[in-house]
Amino acid sequence: MNREATADALGLHERASATPEHAESKRKIMVGSAPAWTEAELGLRAQQEWFAAIVSTPQDEPAPVDEHSAARLITPSATLSSLERLDIYRRGYHARLIECLVDDYPVLQHALGEETFERVCRGYIARHPSRAPSLNYFGQHMAEFCAGAALEQPQFAADLAKLEWAIVLCIHAPTSTVVGFEDLGRVPPERFPAARFSVNPSLRIVHLAYPANAYLQAYRQGQPSPLPPAVQPTSVAVYRTGRSVWRLELEPTMVTLVESLGNGATLEAGLAQVQASLLHLPEQEIAKKISHCFQHSVSSGLFSAISL
Amino acid sequence: MANRFQLPDLGIGLGLRTKHYSTILEQKPQLDWFEILSENYLRTEGRPLDFLEQIAEAYPLVMHGVSLSIGSSDPLDRQYLSELKALRDRVGARWVSDHLCWTGVAGKNTHDLLPMPYTEEALKHVVDRVRAVQDFLGAPLALENPSSYAEFSGNSMSEWEFLGRLAELADCALLLDVNNVYVSSKNHGFDPLTYLNAIPYDRVVQVHVAGHTDHGTHIIDSHIGPVIDSVWQLLATVYRRCDGVPVLLEWDAEIPSFEETHAEALRAREYIGSAP
Repeated sequence: MNREATADALGLHERASATPEHAESKRKIMVGSAPAWTEAELGLRAQQEWFAAIVSTPQDEPAPVDEHSAARLITPSATLSSLERLDIYRRGYHARLIECLVDDYPVLQHALGEETFERVCRGYIARHPSRAPSLNYFGQHMAEFCAGAALEQPQFAADLAKLEWAIVLCIHAPTSTVVGFEDLGRVPPERFPAARFSVNPSLRIVHLAYPANAYLQAYRQGQPSPLPPAVQPTSVAVYRTGRSVWRLELEPTMVTLVESLGNGATLEAGLAQVQASLLHLPEQEIAKKISHCFQHSVSSGLFSAISL
Repeated sequence: MANRFQLPDLGIGLGLRTKHYSTILEQKPQLDWFEILSENYLRTEGRPLDFLEQIAEAYPLVMHGVSLSIGSSDPLDRQYLSELKALRDRVGARWVSDHLCWTGVAGKNTHDLLPMPYTEEALKHVVDRVRAVQDFLGAPLALENPSSYAEFSGNSMSEWEFLGRLAELADCALLLDVNNVYVSSKNHGFDPLTYLNAIPYDRVVQVHVAGHTDHGTHIIDSHIGPVIDSVWQLLATVYRRCDGVPVLLEWDAEIPSFEETHAEALRAREYIGSAP
């Protein structure tokens, strides 16, 4: 089991009042048909709805307005038509949100390739427009979106997205203390069975059908993995201690223990669940496995507090 | 002339960017103040706030937002305002600013600073909302003039007239972005001095400078590269009219090292130092 620190970004979408530079494009504007309104003297609400509808229309679709209609609400400049002026906002809208998804999903982008990833992002933006003041959680539906997308390996893409999103969530989770062996040493032995262990509040256990964590790690180390990978179910703990984000592939016994303790079980009850999952093994082997499972969970920093 | 809100002249500052975190925390460079992008630190309890709180201990901070959507016809987002206020109190920000714009409608956020129609209806709407926000924050809100790429044909007044009347009627502060004045003047074909002549300078509590990208047919407010001389000259003009106003450099694309970014900000001294 490797515990690997990620060299991820700081978990911030560098929001700014700037317009993304690559919002610029030589792409020809596709002109649509005139909208239903007929008068230029629309109220504020109607003007904003009209403007937002144009801005958010996917760029591979015709603008929902023609040049003549656009000129009723937007004046042309000396150098740009009304529609061209509106298109600056339309390109900026999509470019800004795509930038945000690239920040959240660099490995997914690498796996899919830039072109396919951008196509996925445009579909995502249309399906899940932002409704929050912050972009911190804009990418939260990507795994589900990939699973249903027309991709060569939608489930692998979904697994990568699930893993990368867990990293984002863990960056935004509260920073906590970490229980170490010296803390265990302060617990009177007779009180261990009833002790309850709080799991690190940043911890997410991600269950994957494909080896997405190995793929991510190879990417980070500059060793591209061949695609497509074979199915290989794994469970990965993603969590943070201080400023370091960790990914730890978990054995099934650790999943059982951490999920059980995370649900409020006492240590005795949690270990009993682990034991129940190992009954096919010789008794001595079971004891060894349970001991290793608990010690490894502690040494990895998966717990944040002990309640007696 | 000091501003009427008695907000302090913080000196020459920089927009805080993640790329510079390690330099700032490890080297604690000499710098007057930072402006943070408010939304970067909302709806997070983790690492971003850990960094920010350390920086707040060492430098004065000002909050600059992009999602207030003061001009939207949607209701004000009270939860957002609460979060903004809580963040301000948590990091001790000296004031809160945002833009004269709208960012979305019908519950959706485009995360862009969309242009307002400059009409009497819009003016009344924004005045009421600025007052409500200031009541909620218990402090003046500073509104920034945006860069824009489109103008509504139904406008009944100029942007500078709208901004000036808004500031008086809502009794709010102004964040005057001289790069935005320059960008919009080129995109819409007006004289930037006409704009600057109409500003009520006793309400200006902060000035922005930034780089931009000139595409020939129009200019994009990309916050990239150094500030051009014409924009510095606008800063000098503004500074002559409101002595003691804090100046901030925004650099958001292809961000260079902290040292280089700071050096660019300090070029402001050449222009404000020459103010009579």
